[in-house]
Amino acid sequence: MEAVFYNFMPIWTVMFPIFMSMVIFIISRRSEKLRDGLSVATAVVTFFSVAAMYPYLAAGNIIDYTIFDILPGLGVSVRVDILSFSLAIISSFVWMLVAIYSIDYMSHEHGGDRYYPIFIFTLGSCLGIFMAGDFFTLFIFFELMSLISYVLVIHEETREALRAGYKYLIMTIIGGLALFFAIILTFELAGTVSLSQGTLITAAGTLPFLAFLSFLVGFGMKAGMFPLHVWLPDAHPVAPSPASALLSGIMLKTGAYGMLRVLFTVFNIPLVKETGWDMIMLVLAVITILLGSAVALTQEDLKRRLAYSSVGQMGYIILGMALLNETALVGDVFHIFSHALMKSTLFLAAGAIIWKTGLRNINDLQGIGKKMPVTMGAFTIAALAMIGIPPLNGFLSKWTLALGALEAGAPLYVVVLLISSLLNGLYYLPIIIAAFFGGEEEEEGGHHGEGIPFNIQEAAHRMVIPVAILGLACIVFGLMPNNFAFELSLRTASFLINAGMP
Amino acid sequence: MSLHLPVISIALLLLASFVMPLLRRGARAAALPFTLSVLGAVFTVSLYLIYLVESRGAFSYHVGGWPPPWGVELYIDHLAVYMMMVLSSICLVVMVYGARDLYHEIRAEVMSWYYTLYLLLLASMIGIALTNDLFTLFVFLEISTISACGIISIKKDRECIEASFKYLILSVLGSGCVLLGVAMIYMITGYLNYDFVAQELPQAIAEYPYNILMALSLFIVGFSVKSALFPLHIWLPDAHSSAPSPSSAVLSGLVIKIYAAAILRLLFRVFPAELFEVVPVLDILLFLSVLAVMAGSIFAMVQEDIKRMLAYSSIAQIGFVFMGIGLFGNRALLGGLVHIFNHALMKSMLFLAAGLIIYAAGIRNIRDLRGIGVRMPLTMGAFAIGAFSMVGIPGTNGFISKWHLALGALDLGRPFFVAIILLSSLLNGIYYLPIVINAFFGVKIEPRSEHRDVPGMMLVPVLILAAGVIFFGFYPGPILALLEQAIVL
Amino acid sequence: MEIISRLLENYYYFVSMVLFIIGIHTMLTHSNLIKKVIGMNIMDTSIFLFFVSIGYRRGGMAPIIQPGVEAEMYVNPLPSALILTGIVVAVSVTAYALSLIVELYKQYGTCCANEIAQIRAREES
Repeated sequence: MEAVFYNFMPIWTVMFPIFMSMVIFIISRRSEKLRDGLSVATAVVTFFSVAAMYPYLAAGNIIDYTIFDILPGLGVSVRVDILSFSLAIISSFVWMLVAIYSIDYMSHEHGGDRYYPIFIFTLGSCLGIFMAGDFFTLFIFFELMSLISYVLVIHEETREALRAGYKYLIMTIIGGLALFFAIILTFELAGTVSLSQGTLITAAGTLPFLAFLSFLVGFGMKAGMFPLHVWLPDAHPVAPSPASALLSGIMLKTGAYGMLRVLFTVFNIPLVKETGWDMIMLVLAVITILLGSAVALTQEDLKRRLAYSSVGQMGYIILGMALLNETALVGDVFHIFSHALMKSTLFLAAGAIIWKTGLRNINDLQGIGKKMPVTMGAFTIAALAMIGIPPLNGFLSKWTLALGALEAGAPLYVVVLLISSLLNGLYYLPIIIAAFFGGEEEEEGGHHGEGIPFNIQEAAHRMVIPVAILGLACIVFGLMPNNFAFELSLRTASFLINAGMP
Repeated sequence: MSLHLPVISIALLLLASFVMPLLRRGARAAALPFTLSVLGAVFTVSLYLIYLVESRGAFSYHVGGWPPPWGVELYIDHLAVYMMMVLSSICLVVMVYGARDLYHEIRAEVMSWYYTLYLLLLASMIGIALTNDLFTLFVFLEISTISACGIISIKKDRECIEASFKYLILSVLGSGCVLLGVAMIYMITGYLNYDFVAQELPQAIAEYPYNILMALSLFIVGFSVKSALFPLHIWLPDAHSSAPSPSSAVLSGLVIKIYAAAILRLLFRVFPAELFEVVPVLDILLFLSVLAVMAGSIFAMVQEDIKRMLAYSSIAQIGFVFMGIGLFGNRALLGGLVHIFNHALMKSMLFLAAGLIIYAAGIRNIRDLRGIGVRMPLTMGAFAIGAFSMVGIPGTNGFISKWHLALGALDLGRPFFVAIILLSSLLNGIYYLPIVINAFFGVKIEPRSEHRDVPGMMLVPVLILAAGVIFFGFYPGPILALLEQAIVL
Repeated sequence: MEIISRLLENYYYFVSMVLFIIGIHTMLTHSNLIKKVIGMNIMDTSIFLFFVSIGYRRGGMAPIIQPGVEAEMYVNPLPSALILTGIVVAVSVTAYALSLIVELYKQYGTCCANEIAQIRAREES
């Protein structure tokens, strides 16, 4: 009885937001208030639905249920294990807060009627990716999410946004086709693409290698891995800030999730190690980290800087999984949590600032910290966490990653992590310093150039509170080493090391 | 009785097509319901024949009771009933659309002639699918040629006339090649019936190798011209883009593919398999199909007229069908054949959607389509589904055919063709998706002319076809099961 | 030598092939639409001749069986019968093509494909 109920849960959590997005679409013509309320309610219900699966999963069970087969060995199925759950819970959590944040943010923007249904639909399809029971279902939701989130990217419909959106779309299609190729190869080699059959490909060869590469291209595209990251710094900043928070904080992780599945379910650790495919990922990860951090330094636009920073952070996550040991994996999964929290804090805070002042250039933000202390406070916490200052969550994930690198006998990667942290410091600290300590002389010596208007104060409560909660979460998950997220990371890591079997 | 159904349905179509012009004045209003009911009847018969063939297996029918090799024989196997179902279903849906659309494209007096040609075309295509006799094949081929040109040139503007003349000349060239091929085969074997020819050919190879090769190449050239296989496609873009929209839908969706099905039958049922080991016919087809897939997509990218773009896209898609034939493996063939149906669904839907846009807004240029999605959300929604299916997004039927083709290529150890399939999907994405995006987002262009309302009778067929694209994306089981039996090699 | 002697023996096949090529060449290269149709007919006729000559037996009689008269050899009647159908088809295609040409002439005032292409190019530019 219990199993039946839990088999049904993932379908509900995926289909409920998708269904609600239609309802919201219809309702939005009648009443804006109802539309906003319904969106938040949907996100909240979805979050609790995901959370409700925890007791069952914590007991060591795996939800695995085939809905129907399209072709033999290829169907629509759901599967929730501890890895799926970890990603689903953080996604729905951030989504819930962003939904609340959106209410005021979007009230000043046009096209809310389009934004909310898409926003909620993307939640459903994103959860669909995490809870898919086979690569085919995963692929469907992956494409759905990628194509639908296009609307979020181009929401502003400026020339710039449309150009970025086109780039995003083309890259998405290329990634989707690579994934399609990879899935076909896997199906050809293994006869199934299910996630619950244990390792699918056990022997090396040309076709397995092709499959690996195509998976890498397909998921790497989404994850913003070098050299496939080119769409990311264009697409993320042009979206409305809540959408950027989701794009950077959550949707990039779908690529990381896919790669984790590829490494530990499609292939297995001995095979990847023996063939040296992990070296490909490691090299790309190192380049991604250094490139993302270095280019972020040169960006003047606040949101663009954040977007490049995401590229660098995704490099950490790819590095962590390519090290292929348990400690690194703990750091890896925990970094997925951390980065989701940090980056959404940063983007939401940046959004609040842009919403209030209309300024995007970093040089214009002198003294903003005094005008908007809570927002900038949260921004500061998240930025410090990015740099990896203890006791914030970024420190914990980097520390574990470094330990994992040492365990793998590769201290080189620790150096890479340190360099990148240094670079992070170089591009985040000036913003913080300028925000809190800058701008005084200017104020006294007369206003020149474009600066912050005088009458600026904190943004609306419904925007500040989500930012504050996320900022706080960065501290909480860092301060207490035995927190919920870290616990999940530990269990996920040991689960993955055992080749995706409990 | 039920064994007579195949020939009855052809006869019914022929009869109905001759009755159409006789309907005068008051009776003219009956033309449309009459046509639709005939089409509906043929569609029902095709469904029943599928049931019959599934339960009793393939059977042959001797027209007039004369046994082969003297009489004309129809051979109703899985492939034949599949083609018949595809033809009659799409024809029915397109006709529902055409009933309203045609009034603004052609003069009212010639409407009944349009029905005549349309029914004649369907009859000849079903004949091609069912026949088991080379000469009957040729006769139906010529009927289909004339009626296919007719439904283009019935719209009396200069582009249509010119396009149909070009089509006619090349098509007659194709039929000429086929007839010469038939003559060669007859010369060697003394038979015209497929089965008897197939019996004789293996012995004849040693004696007359060149004649057989000549016949084979003539068949391939002839059918390639008619099905617009690259580089013999030059007639297609003009013909398909200038025709009235329902004609374009049928021409692009069905007519070019029936010839592919015919050559498939000839290759596998008539010519001995040893021949393919001597001559790389299949490899040539494969090579041409790859060229078609790439060239069609690339040409489509630079088009400005939406129907022209769809026409070039058809050249690429027919390449997939031939790729399935050329790969010559069970699964690849399945992919190619199922693509006949899938592409028929999506391409006719896209043409009809384009026709709706032309009808309602008078726009043909792709650049002017900006913002049309806001005014015509359902039409552009359907167009978007078709575009996704062209790209091969999972959940649409385009995915199913690409999946099988790609798996089939892998089965044979030729991943190169998978790369081609993916590349073409990418190219499809590059030219289809911007249309969809521009239609819904971005700068709106104010409508130049007055905007006509779309009648429900035109919108519903488009939506039915769009629903079919989705439905067969999730539930391809029955079609695949039928085809799996059709291709037992 | 053998080839030549065989060709001479089957000269009607050879002639019909030559006609076929002449027909195709006329059809595809001439820009005059009427000549295209003539080429089409030459091509069709060549095939008909070829088909009929398949059935021909040297010294064969027309296959009319009269009581009492026993011929040694008959000409195969089937190709001739089939070609009747073929001729009908060819005639109707010709008629259709000619009607299209009439219409084109009305629209453009010329029967030359090149000139029509020029007119269209001028209109578009």
